[in-house]
Amino acid sequence: MPPEGATPPVAIAGLTYAFGEGELRRPVLRDVSLQIRAGEIVLLTGPSGSGKTTLLTLIGALRAMQEGRCTVLGQELLGATEDQRVLLRRRIGFIFQQHNLLGFLTARQNVAMSLELDPRTTEAERLARAGALLEAVGLADRADALPSKLSGGQRQRVAVARALAGSPGLILADEPTAALDRVSGQEVVHLLRDLARSRGVPILLVTHDPRILDIADRIIEMEDGRILSGAPVD
Amino acid sequence: MNELRRLELPAEVQAPRPPRLVNLLLPARLAWRQLRAERARLWTAIAGVMFACVLVFMQLGFRAALFDSATALPQAMHGELFLINPLTTAMFRPEQFPRVRAFQTLADPDVAQAVPIYLSFGTWRNPVTGVRRTIQLVGFDTATGAVVFPGLEAVIEALKRPDTIAFDRKSRPEFGPVPQLLAERGPFEVQIADRRLELVGLIDIGPSFGADGNAVMTETNFRRIVTQRKASNTDLVALRLHPGVDIPTVAARLRQLLPADVAVLTYDELVAWERNYWETATPIGFIFMFGSLMGLVVGMVIVYQILFSDIASHIPEYATLKAMGYAHAYLRRAVMSAALLLAVLGFIPGILTSIGLYQVVAQATFLPLEMDPERGMMVFGMIFAMCAGAGLLAVRKLRDANPADMF
Repeated sequence: MPPEGATPPVAIAGLTYAFGEGELRRPVLRDVSLQIRAGEIVLLTGPSGSGKTTLLTLIGALRAMQEGRCTVLGQELLGATEDQRVLLRRRIGFIFQQHNLLGFLTARQNVAMSLELDPRTTEAERLARAGALLEAVGLADRADALPSKLSGGQRQRVAVARALAGSPGLILADEPTAALDRVSGQEVVHLLRDLARSRGVPILLVTHDPRILDIADRIIEMEDGRILSGAPVD
Repeated sequence: MNELRRLELPAEVQAPRPPRLVNLLLPARLAWRQLRAERARLWTAIAGVMFACVLVFMQLGFRAALFDSATALPQAMHGELFLINPLTTAMFRPEQFPRVRAFQTLADPDVAQAVPIYLSFGTWRNPVTGVRRTIQLVGFDTATGAVVFPGLEAVIEALKRPDTIAFDRKSRPEFGPVPQLLAERGPFEVQIADRRLELVGLIDIGPSFGADGNAVMTETNFRRIVTQRKASNTDLVALRLHPGVDIPTVAARLRQLLPADVAVLTYDELVAWERNYWETATPIGFIFMFGSLMGLVVGMVIVYQILFSDIASHIPEYATLKAMGYAHAYLRRAVMSAALLLAVLGFIPGILTSIGLYQVVAQATFLPLEMDPERGMMVFGMIFAMCAGAGLLAVRKLRDANPADMF
C-alpha cells in the first residue's frame, strides 16, 4: 500500500476538462482542486451539468486527462497510458446508478468477477471471498441467486460487495441510491459506509439524494465546473 | 468483517502476468456462461452453425462423389500401366489410337500382358418398360484376367459365347431391375444398339457423370455391337507387368519406345487424368466450391448476428467490467471464445447430421458419398474460421462499451 499518511489517495490540482473541439469546445471542469484523505467519505453534489460525473470518471481513470494534475492511489493520471489506467481501475471499486450485474452470473459469481483479475487467486479462494463479502452485505442466503431473482436493494448490495471484493484503495459511487426506494437506499449507503470505514477505504460519492447526506465526512458542492464549497460535516 | 483478509495490491508493483492458459480459460468460461444463459439464442446459433456445416459437408460430399464416380471406370481397372491417346479428355469421349501400340509394349521384358480395351456407347432398352437409354460399352479380352472388375471372374466362361454381355450392377435404376430379373429368370435377352444380346451376369463398376451404366463384353462381342469403327484401333490399353518390377522405370522405358500418339500412365495417373477433366473442363468443381462458400457466408452472418446482439444487449455490463479493470483484450477474448464455442457446438450435430444425410443421398443418387476423417477435419477448419471471422466482426461492437459513459 502507498504510505497513506503522506500521499492522499486522491490529489487533484488545477484540473480542467472540456468536451468538443474548436468552436464547439465546452468546458465542464475549470481549475478544480480537491484532496481526499485516507478513510474519508466525501459527497459530491450539485445540479446536473455541474461536472461532478465527469470529475468522477477522471478520478476513476475512465477518461484520459487533458490539463492539470490528478494523482489517484499514487498513479499520476495526466499522460497515463491506457494500460496504466486499466491497472489503476483494478484498485478502485465502482458502484453505479444501475447495479450492472451480469445477468447470467449468480450474485457470488458476479462478486468473484472482480477477483478474477488477480492471477494469484484460485477459483476456490475467489468464491469463498465472494461468499464472505455477500455475508457482510447481508446476502449470505442469496449468494447463488441470479440478479433477476433479487430485489433492487439486494442487487445494489451485491454491487457494493463487488466493489469491495478487490480490496480497493478507493471507492467511487455515482448516485448509488437513485434507483432505490428510501429504505433500501439508506441500507445500501450505510452498509457502504460501514464497510469502507472498517477498512479505511475513502469514498467519493456523487449524489442528488438529500436523504443520504448524513454518511458524509465532507460535502462538496459543484456548479459550472467549479467547486463552490468543501465544508466538513460535523 | 475481520475474517476478510485484504488482498494487498502494491501500487507500484505491477501484477505478474497470469499464466497463458488462465488468460484464455477465464474469458472462455465467461463466454460459455453467457451463451448458456440465453437458451433460445444459443440454439439459434448452434442451428446456424450446424446448417452451414451440413451445407458445406453436402457440397464437398457431392463434389468428391462426383469425382469418385467420374473415375469409376478407370478405378475399376487393374493394370500397372495404361496407354491412352494424349487427346483423350475423358473415358466417355475416348480418342482412338493404333492397337499395335499394345503389342509394341510386349517388346519390353517387364511387360507380361497388354490388353486393348474398347470403349463406346450404345442404346440400351429397358427390359421392363422398353425405354431406351445410353449405356457405356466396355470390350476387352475378358479371359486374360488382366482387367478384373469385381464379379467378372464368375462370368468369364459365359462371356465367351457369342452376343453375351455382363451388366454393371451399380448402373442407375432407369436401366431396369436387371439384378432382380437375372435372379428370377437366369440369363435373359436384352437389346443394345438394335442387337439382341444375352445378359449372362453382373459385375461392379458404378455410374459416373459421363455414363449412367456399363456393360462389359469380350472384344469380339464388342465388335458385333459396334460395327462402325476401324478394327485396328483401340481406346485404352491396360498393361500387366511382372510382379516386383519398378513401375516408373518401365513407364519411362515405354515412353522412349512408343511414338507420341500414346501417353503412358500409371494407374494413379490414369485416375487423375480422368478426374482432371471433371475438375478443370467443367464448372462442376467450381459450383460445389461456390455452394460451400455460400453455406459459410450464411453461417457467418448468423453467428455474427448472435454475437452482435449478445454484445449489444450487454453493453452496460461490459462497460462495467472495463471500469472494474478488465482490459478490452479480455472482452475480445470472451467474444472470440463464444464464437469458437459455437463452432464446436454446431459442428458436432452438423457432422452427425451429414453422416446420416450422406447415407440417404447415397441411396437416392447411387453416388458414393462417404464421410472421411480428412474432410471432417477440413470442414471443422472451415467452420472454425467462419466463426472466428464472425467473432472478429462482432468484436468491433465492443468499442461501444465505454466505461466513461457508465455514469
